Amino acid sequence: MDRIECQWCKAQNEPERTSCTTCGAPLDKKNLVSDSGWAEAPRLRDMTEFRFSNSTCQIEGEIVPVAELALAPGDSVFFEHHVMLWKEPQVPLSAMNVPGGGRRMLGGMPHIMSLAHGPGRIALSKDATGEVVVLPIHPSHEIDVREHAFLAGTHSLNYSFERIKGLVNILHGGSGMYMDRFVTQGEQGLLLLHGYGNVFQKTLQPGEQILVEPGGFLYKDSSVRMDTIKQSFKTGPFGSHNMYLAQMTGPGRVGVQSMYVHHGSE
Amino acid sequence: MSTPATYTCPYCRLGSDGSGTSCPHCGAPTDIRARVTKSGWAEQPPIRDMARIRFNRSTCQISGMYVPVAELKLDPEDSVYFSHHVLLHSEPSVQLDMMRMAGGWNRMLAGMPLIMMTARGPGHVAISADHPGETLAVPLPPNHAIDVVEHRFLVATSNVGYQWERAGVWYMTQSGDEQETHYPLGPTMDRFFAQGGPGLLLLHGPGNTFIRDLQHGERILIQPSSLIWKDRSVRMFLHLEYPRGNYWFSSARWQAKSIWLVLQGPGRVAVQSVFERPETVGAITNSSGATTQYW
Repeated sequence: MDRIECQWCKAQNEPERTSCTTCGAPLDKKNLVSDSGWAEAPRLRDMTEFRFSNSTCQIEGEIVPVAELALAPGDSVFFEHHVMLWKEPQVPLSAMNVPGGGRRMLGGMPHIMSLAHGPGRIALSKDATGEVVVLPIHPSHEIDVREHAFLAGTHSLNYSFERIKGLVNILHGGSGMYMDRFVTQGEQGLLLLHGYGNVFQKTLQPGEQILVEPGGFLYKDSSVRMDTIKQSFKTGPFGSHNMYLAQMTGPGRVGVQSMYVHHGSE
Repeated sequence: MSTPATYTCPYCRLGSDGSGTSCPHCGAPTDIRARVTKSGWAEQPPIRDMARIRFNRSTCQISGMYVPVAELKLDPEDSVYFSHHVLLHSEPSVQLDMMRMAGGWNRMLAGMPLIMMTARGPGHVAISADHPGETLAVPLPPNHAIDVVEHRFLVATSNVGYQWERAGVWYMTQSGDEQETHYPLGPTMDRFFAQGGPGLLLLHGPGNTFIRDLQHGERILIQPSSLIWKDRSVRMFLHLEYPRGNYWFSSARWQAKSIWLVLQGPGRVAVQSVFERPETVGAITNSSGATTQYW
């Protein structure tokens, strides 16, 4: 019998499955794609469960969703410590060794990344209205995420942060000084993000461009180039107004969120 | 040859062939029964994910359910305008420009957006109000005007004229030596009117939206900040209610009073289920035209 391919993460699933085992996306619903090619991040059904390594993750709630992780022995996840909602007493926590403490402090990034080790259960919530976006990361795949959007990553992911290049990009790009970068070398990893409002993804062809409100940017493949461009508008004989937009150039995926802090006009 | 209209949308009252699952003019679902309360409020059904609305030669697609996005596919002949901070993404082919606006100083004083942008096709441009709620599509017949509470406007087609007027609804309170003027609808309201042909106006309504037709002279009391829009023909003024009682907190000086907005027909009104209660600290010493009721 034919297996079902998940339209969001492309994983193969057993024919009787109603949600993807890898990312939780509903398999019995058509992927919603707008006329211009923006795909809505799948709305995960309440209590949807999916697997990573030997562990499982269950998404609960639809307005302020919670990711409940059942960690198997030997598996672990990392996250910013303030997103922890509850945990079973036997789940050990440790601090993750994150290099570049001084620069992280300057960049307004979290100093402490926590690691929770199996066996046991732990629940994470970003404490804000929105959607959990599940991104399985394939070996040698790199993804850049705006700071503070990341909810949790599995142990097989390498976490680093990239300085955003160019003063204009830092000052007017709306993403701060750094972006989180996630990469996996061997085993497939799983990245959970929190998008405020609704999340949409578009795959850009090589050289294809799109202009994005900087505050709406959520994630991109590292192959996508991000530049901040200034749009100047004359408001009168002596006045002008500048607006900054993030110009994304393919190839690769770009994710945006529909709830954001407007950034980049003066 | 155009197809004869066989379906009239109960929400926007425009005709279509009824072949789709949503109204091509306002996006309201066509395959559900209109939900009207016994008192006459019709619940505006949310526009379904990915529903399309047609205007001129362009289309608008609404996506997302928590914080919806309006994605406009603009024909080279068409353009829209919006406040610059609602722009989410745009194709490079879309021509973004500044809209000329009169009364900048007054707008600034009134807390209204100073910058309005225009987007001209061809290409896609997406707009998000950046708040949870519903996108409301209000098709405007030629020469029809509606008044919209400030900060509800999302985007309009370029043939929709835009003015702003003083809301004319205010009251003053005094507590000790402190006197304060309150504008429960904001100091100003936006007025939109279609010129030349039909226009499309998109608004953002936090919470759920309900609409109602008021007959000539019919009145309804609402929380002032729950108003989204009204027909120009609908009159509005304050109504102050003081409950009966001998307790100190029922005195006019204190907070046991209700500040209502009276809407008087004829015309259509739309309210939202999310609102802020008006500030009632101190005695009301002066107000715009208001009726008063002591129970």
